[in-house]
Amino acid sequence: MILDVLRSIRTSSSSSTTTTTGGRIILQSFGFYSVSTSKMRDIKVKSDSRELITSSDEEEEAAAQIIESVSIREKEISSSSLSVKSTPEIEKKYVHRVYDAIAPHFSSTRFAKWPKVAAFLESLPCGSVILDAGCGNGKYLGLNPSCFFIGCDISHPLIKICSDKGQEVLVADAVNLPYREDFGDAAISIAVLHHLSTESRRKKAIEELVRVVKPGGFVLITVWAAEQEDTSLLTKWTPLSAKYVEEWVGPGSPMNSPRVRNNPFFSLESIPETEVSTKEQKADNSPFIGLESIPESEESTRELKETKASIVEQKEESLEALKKSQQEYFVPWHLPYHRAEVSGASASALATGLAKKDDRKGAVVYNRYYHVFSEGELERLASRVGNAMIVDRFYDKSNWCIVLQKAALNQD
Amino acid sequence: MRLITHNMLSCNIKGVTNGFPLRIEAGNVIEKEVDFNPDFIRHMFAKLEWKALVEGARSMGYAELPEDSPDAAVLESDESFLKKLHHALLELHLEEGALVCPKTGRKFPVNKGIPNMLLHEDEV
Repeated sequence: MILDVLRSIRTSSSSSTTTTTGGRIILQSFGFYSVSTSKMRDIKVKSDSRELITSSDEEEEAAAQIIESVSIREKEISSSSLSVKSTPEIEKKYVHRVYDAIAPHFSSTRFAKWPKVAAFLESLPCGSVILDAGCGNGKYLGLNPSCFFIGCDISHPLIKICSDKGQEVLVADAVNLPYREDFGDAAISIAVLHHLSTESRRKKAIEELVRVVKPGGFVLITVWAAEQEDTSLLTKWTPLSAKYVEEWVGPGSPMNSPRVRNNPFFSLESIPETEVSTKEQKADNSPFIGLESIPESEESTRELKETKASIVEQKEESLEALKKSQQEYFVPWHLPYHRAEVSGASASALATGLAKKDDRKGAVVYNRYYHVFSEGELERLASRVGNAMIVDRFYDKSNWCIVLQKAALNQD
Repeated sequence: MRLITHNMLSCNIKGVTNGFPLRIEAGNVIEKEVDFNPDFIRHMFAKLEWKALVEGARSMGYAELPEDSPDAAVLESDESFLKKLHHALLELHLEEGALVCPKTGRKFPVNKGIPNMLLHEDEV
């Protein structure tokens, strides 16, 4: 191996002052950098024609049979595609690609530090190693200068923004963290899990957060709430319904067949789209508000072996997702034309229909996939994670939040 | 990528039960000074897999760490040791290179200091 060791001068540092002495930069604060990588993965509706779901619920059975009988999409299906760690199509198209395309613009709007998150980070002991899974533009990395942050995000363009700020970051998937267990003192997941499109993936992401912190370590999770404070924003969100199945699952998908489209089970109440208001940019950053209360989702009580459970779970989740459309949304992001040209990704996004132009606003409009959480949902999900306890729960600025503590080691 | 991060990274390819530590192929290593904080270094010591750190540091061109994990007395009072540990953990950066899975040989690239640990579809 040829090693090229040289002294480098860092030109800027976000969390410390620097002086130059004889060409070296000396960081005057305990300057730690965070690494964050998170990738949002699409969830694709999958079916396995060899599986038979039996259910005493007639409606569910009819839908299940329809799902079963459809042919499996070519290319996308492999044994690994059934894994909870596989990225579903909806996340690839409406989370990953969108954030990659909007990264610099998105980052420029993400600067306000949320007080509750700041308080959590500042409460941690000096010298803590804090893992931020889904760190985005690294807003919270280094927030507590006495701690060392390692962040990850699935979006390389966002990670590049973090890295340019001198933070310790890597590109990784929050559903499958490339970390050995028990290393972190604490972990955070801020506005991440709502981009995961199945319950099993959301649960897996929580399990990963717990796995990577030490026994007794804390985990803070925040997600967008279905119960939004500003109801006017609701009009800007597009609820996912059968109308969007084609975009969701892709053209030629079995889910887009006439049998599916005509089945009353799949016809969902659609909220009429309204003209986008002048508060567009603000709305982009805010969740949709004003939803009437959403019924709690029923959880599957089936306990099956690993792969089988995954298949069954994904089918049931797709059924549940369709039933509970009010929690599944496309939330627009308006990327101004002058920003879109810089990004470069927008040309292909427009060509493939992933984004649309809005000349009136002078912006390329992307849609981001969200599963917003209903009251109690995050808690129920977290309570199913074995070795952790919920130690705090709160609602703040249209987000549901919990703090978990990983079980301490048994002391004999 | 610093060695503090490397000491946590593990290959998570399906079927790999122990993908730690990743072997470092160092293409370009740079040094950046960071203020020395002995308390932090002591705190970190308990988390470290010592052999992985020593080997990783050697891969990055730094061979000053003792082969064997030092005992508590050293940690408490030997400042020169703590400074070496500080240097290894925080001041060495792998800018270009790869992290190699010990079981499968799969290489995770490191570019501009950023490791890409994403798996391919068939590795999940």
